Amino acid sequence: MGDYGARFAVKKNGPVVRLKNGNFKIDLADDHRRLLTQLIEQLRDSLTTTTDDANLRRLFPTAYHNDAKKDAEYQRLMRDELLESRLAAIDIAISVLTNDNEITDEQIDSFSRSINSLRLVLGTTLDIAESDYGSQSDAQQSENSDGDEASEADEYLIQKELYEYLGWLLEWTVSAQSSGL
Amino acid sequence: MSEFTFASSQPGQVQEVDLADETKSDRPWIVIVWNDPINLMSYVTFVFQKLFGYSLEKATELMLDVHHKGRAVVSSGSRERAEFDVYRLHEHGLWATMEHDSL
Repeated sequence: MGDYGARFAVKKNGPVVRLKNGNFKIDLADDHRRLLTQLIEQLRDSLTTTTDDANLRRLFPTAYHNDAKKDAEYQRLMRDELLESRLAAIDIAISVLTNDNEITDEQIDSFSRSINSLRLVLGTTLDIAESDYGSQSDAQQSENSDGDEASEADEYLIQKELYEYLGWLLEWTVSAQSSGL
Repeated sequence: MSEFTFASSQPGQVQEVDLADETKSDRPWIVIVWNDPINLMSYVTFVFQKLFGYSLEKATELMLDVHHKGRAVVSSGSRERAEFDVYRLHEHGLWATMEHDSL
């Protein structure tokens, strides 16, 4: 598992705070809101096009790891329900990002689940491994590349930065949610 | 959640019962969360607290078991209950599976 809090939690007041009335407030720059909205919309498009994409596999895990027959039956009954749940959460997350209102407990739950879904997909695309945390190899990889390789390395670095940004945002969101337990 | 239904025998019919399966069905189902390199430790701890009502200490202990031992049993009970818990964990992006308790 990952732990990005120590690397990014430098602001005293994070981008997500719990208010005295129990609601939440998200303090993000407009360009960050737009970027997150675009990413979540892309995830929605992917989910409504196909759920068989290998990069989406973490969103639809096996339920019976040692019984393929039972798992097939489970997936037949529950996969669509899980998809609907993810899409409903995505719709709420987009509405949260496109206005600056206070957010309810249910809305922040959908927001954190959707940010986590994005991380799962991006982390799968990047083939994130336990050993990647705190690694310096990414920057070295970029410095040692040229031409097409450099372009691919740059793309990888952009996605990795995005992945880490989502981790930072999720840490703050969970911190705000946990303060109400 | 959808419920599973099981075929029942008709009146007058004799149904053969596999004693091994019968014994197996008496055992509870356990829900296992597996380690993965993507989910944040804080997020996993929070999900355990939220879904199962565990204290921070208990949720942290389970999360650390997942992280260090590779897996942790987070709940147990009937098959329907286990499927419900697995579904909720999947909704939150955790890698959860279920199996019959081996004890």
